[in-house]
Amino acid sequence: MIIRVNNLVKRYGDLVALDHLSLEVKEGEIFGLLGPNGSGKTTVINCILSLLKYDKGEIEIFDQPMAPDAYDIKRDIGIIMQNVAVFEELTVYENIDYFCGLYVPDKAKRKKLVEDAIDFVGLNDFRKFYPKKLSGGLLRRLNIACGIAHRPKLIILDEPTVAVDPQSRNNILEGIVRLNREGATIVYTSHYMEEVEQICTRIMILDKGRMIADGSKEELKAMITLGEKITVETFSLREEQLSALKKLPNIVSAEYRDHLLVVKSGKGQNNLEAILDFLKRNQITFGKIYSELPTLNDVFLEITGKQLRD
Amino acid sequence: MPVFKLCMKIIQKNLSSMMIYVAVFLIVATLLSLNGSKVQEAGFSQEKTNIAFLSEEDSPLIDGFQAELAKTANFVEVPDETEKLQDALFFRSVSYILRIPKGFTQSFMRGEDVRIEKTTVPNSVSNAYLDLNINQYFNTAALYVKTVPGITQEDLVRHLKADMESNTPVAMKADARQDTDNGFSANYFNYLAYALSSVLVLGISAIMLVFNDRDLSRRNFCSPQSAGKINFQFILANLVFTVVCWAVMVGFCFLFDHRNMMTRNTVYLVLNSFVFTLSMSSISFLIGNLLKNRGAISAVCNVVTLGPCFISGVFVPQEFLNSTVLKIASFTPTYWYVKANNQISSLASFSFSSLSETYTAMLIEAGFAVAFFAVSMVVGKKKRMSS
Repeated sequence: MIIRVNNLVKRYGDLVALDHLSLEVKEGEIFGLLGPNGSGKTTVINCILSLLKYDKGEIEIFDQPMAPDAYDIKRDIGIIMQNVAVFEELTVYENIDYFCGLYVPDKAKRKKLVEDAIDFVGLNDFRKFYPKKLSGGLLRRLNIACGIAHRPKLIILDEPTVAVDPQSRNNILEGIVRLNREGATIVYTSHYMEEVEQICTRIMILDKGRMIADGSKEELKAMITLGEKITVETFSLREEQLSALKKLPNIVSAEYRDHLLVVKSGKGQNNLEAILDFLKRNQITFGKIYSELPTLNDVFLEITGKQLRD
Repeated sequence: MPVFKLCMKIIQKNLSSMMIYVAVFLIVATLLSLNGSKVQEAGFSQEKTNIAFLSEEDSPLIDGFQAELAKTANFVEVPDETEKLQDALFFRSVSYILRIPKGFTQSFMRGEDVRIEKTTVPNSVSNAYLDLNINQYFNTAALYVKTVPGITQEDLVRHLKADMESNTPVAMKADARQDTDNGFSANYFNYLAYALSSVLVLGISAIMLVFNDRDLSRRNFCSPQSAGKINFQFILANLVFTVVCWAVMVGFCFLFDHRNMMTRNTVYLVLNSFVFTLSMSSISFLIGNLLKNRGAISAVCNVVTLGPCFISGVFVPQEFLNSTVLKIASFTPTYWYVKANNQISSLASFSFSSLSETYTAMLIEAGFAVAFFAVSMVVGKKKRMSS
């Protein structure tokens, strides 16, 4: 086991930030911690890294108890913080070299690692740039390079794509998958469900410091009743037609607003076909029609009754 | 030693702003020190005052007086017109106008109370000295007139001449004489206070600010480097920077004034500057712990370094400063540094008793170093705990 957190409790005065939280991260996983802002994601990471003292519970990394002075464990961890932590006085190369130097004292070995990290994040053209001259996306890439240059076995990324443009975001996500393929175990926190869905092999959803769901994205989606969301563009739907539609088998809900009919159906096959058949039978003309599978937001919504981004 | 190297790079990045202080200091210190060399008192010589001597009568007594006055005054010819006499005083061609009124000699010889008219420039030390001479001459003459009835003017002048010739020799009483001129180094080391403290505040607070950044310190904490190792490298880097700054600044003094550098005065000046350097680096630690952004460094640097320099006698000698100002200044190490420098530069003997005041000042400077360092540690710890 790479990480084992057992019954973790962290309080800030009366506020319980982590409420008897347990989790396990296995070797080779991309483990996603998903939750809205303030759900406790960063607090878990800070506790795992011994940056925060906790009130109760145990944390083991590489099957050894984690502590502030567990330097052998820290040697194999790469950390990419939510806030970019680089030195403005150092160039891109010097920054990566500094952080790599904290882990790898051998200069020759380090040089190769730094070059590899620069290649990995695609900052070759910016190696002599100072951080002030870099865009937000490039800065995030530098932050990642500083965290992974020493080739850690475990990489913890705490919301690494906040305020990043879509191109850089894709670049970062692809990089994370590549790191995982090269053997690193990844812990990834985000409140962007699309990212977590895209790259994580296992996801834990947090809310108010508690785990509310855990599993692969397929397993999580299987937990809820929603099977499909079908949206139909139509200009002529009467109230009695909407009521009749709601009575069709396997329909969970149907809403008509702004010329859009949104039908949520339960798990099962031929939902779309049944709706199309209903529209034809009732001679309801329609334009675009599309179907969506449930997202992690739908999972979160069904379990907690609120949106992920509330 | 990644942390040590990083500190050096941060200093390198801030070197240009530090060099401005060093360059300005070197220019100003050199110019001012060369102009402000201390004059050493080695003996006494009489100075002569320029006077206009206007007599409305001629008599042997007045002639004798004028001859005696010539020993302490230069007679300048000025026409006896009010405007021209006023001009002569205004333009300082004379500083004293002496007028002997008509009938002065006769009245004086009769023992009557007589007065000489004088017009002088205000607040002149040499005029006061001239007054003393004139009073002395006529008081002695009056004594003869009173005690020797019927004395002639010629006899009176002869007696007075003999009396006035008996001089009191003046010899400078000193334990020893300084063989070298400490003027340059004394001034240089005083001015050094400003440049050295500015460079230290700029450099050390820049390093502190970087390492006090919450995200960076957390990032460092996540590494396998122990806090002890990081702190050791950090303190070592600051110490190296401090010592290098001190050595460079002192080195320039050796360069400019190498002939006088091997004196014991200079050795003590160098020692004093080192103690002062330590106290300023402690203050820089504290400032670095208190500051929150880079933009504030140079503003705070100017206030913290320039202020004490002005009130402690770096730019204006302590003797010219108000006692209240000096009392306030005594709460800064700069005051004690300058005080010790002034004492050291005037030292001719180096016994423990003559050095005791200097040692006291140095100990107070060292006390400041310890106190500020302790406060900065407490502030730093509180800051870390809160983040």
